[in-house]
Amino acid sequence: MTKSSDAKSDDRYLIWRLAKGLGQCLLALLLLVSILSLTACTKARSRFEPGVLRVNLGTEPPGLDWHTATDSTSFDVVSNLMVGLTQYTNDLTCAPSCAKSWEVLDDGKRYLFHLRDDLRWTDGKPVTAYDFEYAWKRLLNPATAAQYAFFLYDVVNARDYNTGKLKNADLLGIKAIDPHTFEVRLSKPAAYFIYLTAFCVSFPMRKDVVERFGDRWTEPENFVTNGPFRLTRWQHEYKMELSANPQYFDGPPKVKLVKMFMVPEASTAFALYENDELDFIDNRSFSTPDVERFRSSPEYKNFPLLRANYLAFNVSKKPFTDPLVRKAVAMAIDRSVFPRILRRGERPATSWIPPALPGYSPDSGLKFDPVEARALLAKAGYPGGKGFPKAELLYPNRDDVRLTVEATQDELKRNLGIEIELVNQEWKVYLATVRKDAPPMFRNSWGADYPDPETFMNLFTKDCGNNDTKWWSPKYDQLIQAAEGELDAKKRADLYRQADVMLCREAVPIVPTFLATQNIMVKPWVKGIAINPLDLQFFKAVEVGGQ
Amino acid sequence: MQTLDNAKSPPAAIKPLDQSVVARLKRIPTAYFAFWVIAAICLVALLSWMGFSLCPYSFDQTSTDFLAGPSSQHLMGTDELGRDLLSRIVYGARLSIAIGLTTAAVAFVIGTLYGAISGYFGGKIDTLLMRGVDIAYSLPDLLVMILIGVLLGRGTLGILIALGLVSWMGTARLVRAQFLQLKNEEFIEAARAQGQSGLNIVFKHLLPNAIGPIIVALTFTVPSAILSESTLSFIGLGLSPPACSWGTLASDGWRSLRAHPHLIFFPSLFIFMTVLSFNFLGDGLRDALDPRTRLGKTVK
Amino acid sequence: MIALILKRVLLAIPVLLVVASLTFVLVRIVPGGPFDADKNLPPEIIANLNAKYHLDKPVPEQYFLYLGRLAQGDLGVSYKYVNRTVNDILSDAFPVSLQLGTISLTLAVMIGVPLGAIAAVCRGRREDVIAMFLSTLGISVPGFVIGATLIFVFAIELRVLPVGLWESPWHVVLPAVTLAFSPAAYLARLTRASVLEIVEKDWVRTARSKGLSQWSTVTKHILRNSLIPVVTVLGPLTAIVITGSFVVEYIYAIPGMGRFFITAVMNRDYDLILGTTLVFAVLLIVANTFVDVAYQILDPRMRLED
Repeated sequence: MTKSSDAKSDDRYLIWRLAKGLGQCLLALLLLVSILSLTACTKARSRFEPGVLRVNLGTEPPGLDWHTATDSTSFDVVSNLMVGLTQYTNDLTCAPSCAKSWEVLDDGKRYLFHLRDDLRWTDGKPVTAYDFEYAWKRLLNPATAAQYAFFLYDVVNARDYNTGKLKNADLLGIKAIDPHTFEVRLSKPAAYFIYLTAFCVSFPMRKDVVERFGDRWTEPENFVTNGPFRLTRWQHEYKMELSANPQYFDGPPKVKLVKMFMVPEASTAFALYENDELDFIDNRSFSTPDVERFRSSPEYKNFPLLRANYLAFNVSKKPFTDPLVRKAVAMAIDRSVFPRILRRGERPATSWIPPALPGYSPDSGLKFDPVEARALLAKAGYPGGKGFPKAELLYPNRDDVRLTVEATQDELKRNLGIEIELVNQEWKVYLATVRKDAPPMFRNSWGADYPDPETFMNLFTKDCGNNDTKWWSPKYDQLIQAAEGELDAKKRADLYRQADVMLCREAVPIVPTFLATQNIMVKPWVKGIAINPLDLQFFKAVEVGGQ
Repeated sequence: MQTLDNAKSPPAAIKPLDQSVVARLKRIPTAYFAFWVIAAICLVALLSWMGFSLCPYSFDQTSTDFLAGPSSQHLMGTDELGRDLLSRIVYGARLSIAIGLTTAAVAFVIGTLYGAISGYFGGKIDTLLMRGVDIAYSLPDLLVMILIGVLLGRGTLGILIALGLVSWMGTARLVRAQFLQLKNEEFIEAARAQGQSGLNIVFKHLLPNAIGPIIVALTFTVPSAILSESTLSFIGLGLSPPACSWGTLASDGWRSLRAHPHLIFFPSLFIFMTVLSFNFLGDGLRDALDPRTRLGKTVK
Repeated sequence: MIALILKRVLLAIPVLLVVASLTFVLVRIVPGGPFDADKNLPPEIIANLNAKYHLDKPVPEQYFLYLGRLAQGDLGVSYKYVNRTVNDILSDAFPVSLQLGTISLTLAVMIGVPLGAIAAVCRGRREDVIAMFLSTLGISVPGFVIGATLIFVFAIELRVLPVGLWESPWHVVLPAVTLAFSPAAYLARLTRASVLEIVEKDWVRTARSKGLSQWSTVTKHILRNSLIPVVTVLGPLTAIVITGSFVVEYIYAIPGMGRFFITAVMNRDYDLILGTTLVFAVLLIVANTFVDVAYQILDPRMRLED
């Protein structure tokens, strides 16, 4: 008995010693690793790499073909690789770029662009007017299936060609007269047309390259561009490297390399910035709690964006077929809740045109008024919310969006006594659902493509592919069309204001909620990061290190 | 201490889950305490499900007190919309506990049965059944869960079934391995020689002797199922706000780790406490079920 | 043993076929198609795309086309990442996950097994309770919380390790540790439970009574036999850890394969779903074969095939 018992405790002792030995080995190993890393870090790690800018894209760009891309991530990359006829300055006027000058003829219906003659593609060939002609025709070609084709609808015959009513591309008002002269004819004067020539979708394209490489023409080994940077490396889902283009007509940029990482998690990206592994971050790299902590840092900046968030109704679905109900909802949401929960300096909005653009008036929208809202709801047949069907509100799954819709749900429950069911979907599924068969309510946002009310107001016209509310009105469409052709700025602003009142006070297919802001942090060794409300980042003027 | 003389005969007192098990459990204070902790959490979840909330606030009641830290008014602070975190945790317990218990039960019943058959019979049956487990393991969980979500609609039942269905394979392999090993033991051969039936051998001899690793496997399905549920919510198949569970509270709160640690600390604490209780209870159960364990020896 | 391995290799073919077929059916039953979620494409374009990827053909024909390509080792093309083949994507991503997974699995075994053994030996004492707390922590705290905490402590506060990305060997450390937490915890608990089972076994005493030395009792009998459950779970665990973890890759921005188990399903990227599933299945089969071989080595009495 005693023997066996002793033996057993000896067994245990042996196991214990074995395990402990292993554990100690491991501990020693860990210690070694940490000491090594400590010395490695303190010795080798400098806080930045001179001439290299490290930024975060957030996600992999769905594609760099600027005709089929629709998202800001793709445009952020393209706008550093390419230049168009004109380019934006940071106060959002159009400056000459590929076009050294242009003439506006025939009362604004004909544009003649004169191209510089020192323009080169990255493979050494000259950039010509033919490249523009090819690109614009490709954009409008229905086979390209470009969502942004509507951008050029003011061009003669463009709409008919893009919708397949017209087959002959030669009838389009787009023509290269000679290698350095590009002519565009419009079907009506369009006050905002020149802005379009600075936007990604209107950039030139190389016919031979696109046709030779097909879908793969934007891979680094095939890609031919004309901008300040060229794409030299693309590790999918991880990183892109943009190198300075020595042949850029305006002189090569000041940094030799831009590393664009794709860090999907904002709090990680922010930690990377804190740890000097990124030099510049924006909204994509801030999770809400981070904004709060760093608001007082000298590296932090916050500025308004031309990006509006709204709650949309599908007006073909009950109970939102009744404008009274829509108005009641619009008046029952206290917008001041949004900046309090999102904490990024968002500005509550009641009108669709943002304050920075012509046509804005503080009285265009419906103000928060729960008493009146309840009265309207009662008038619509739901006194105190009684009998109101449980309506779905669809939203894409993202932290900040979830908070806004939860707050909206709460406001409506408290102020109107109605229950809203929140349904979330992954971003792409959400897009598809909204396009195909939008639920009674959905949350959406729209960022300006150019600094003009047109980019916002055009969204709710009958033919706009992005109008998912099923709402349209001939009167609204007429107002917008009139405004598009109006050359007198004051009259034009008034037309937009009338349309805005229709949208936000009378018909109410949407409820504007707030205007977003951009939050950025820039390391002290980075100079030349510019800010603009269109949220375009041009890295050609940026310097890293220096002195 | 058992002596060598009776080592060859099958141990006498293998009677799973009779009163002596409960009596034995009572003698292990940690396990007994853990049992009551779990019972209390279940009770709170049940009460809140039946409408008796034990909290001063409703789980979806907002206030202007955004992101307040713990205070006497809000014991665990408030979230971004000013909702009381304690109330939300209490509310979230119902789904999380239901998930924990059902997946563990499914894993135990299906997994043990499947593994027992495979291990007990061995040979061709074993080979065949284990290839089945390989296949079930390889199928993409997410796709299976989406399919179930589509078939049963959004709702608790769908979540429970989806999580249960992807949880049993590990247990099955573990039981099978234990059985393959144990069936060569002398006491099993002795039982066979005595003419005991197959069922008797499986449930009275094999299972109790393999119970340790099985209990560990079961206690581990609990937290992983509770946390997987938040993935379902993330892809839009789980709960819709403002409803919440411990899984969604934790996955919504972790970004606030530095700025508002209470948002992640308390949900995690509750998951931790529950799992810890399950572990202690599991250990206790194992000891109570195992006839050879002499409780006097556990505390030296 | 050679016969066992050979048999398994032969069996792997029907198993993989069943996995491929079931997944093939699953992806087509689940609502939503690869081009639904995309932009508002005109019907002609969708028709073109479907024709390009043979999605316009009847499902049975698609199935045999797929199997035909599969037999040649061609996993197909991705619909989301335009014109990248699934072979391209996986050959980029798998090595990353493999490196990370191997390191963290080693870490998990080296921490988990000794921790469990110590807990078993010191059963009911302080060491046991500490081990219990640690392993409960490891399994019940979500991966993203562990990741965020490690980043905060080691990258932000101590500044000894990088926050994330996949640039140098130092970038492996934090993700590997994060990934190792839960397997280590599981292995620790399992080792403890099974060492306890074995120590009490009659034949251990018998062996000792036959005069075997302590050393050989411990190594030959106790440790060998108590490793059976550990080895059992290591099979699937290896496959899971080596094919990457969505959470860890997401938090540390690592270009591994784990993300595709989620994103491919979300995008309904048919061929990529099948590709990742098959890679996982192959690894699982290989790992489980090793497990069964290991059984024979650890306990020769365990006969698997008749």
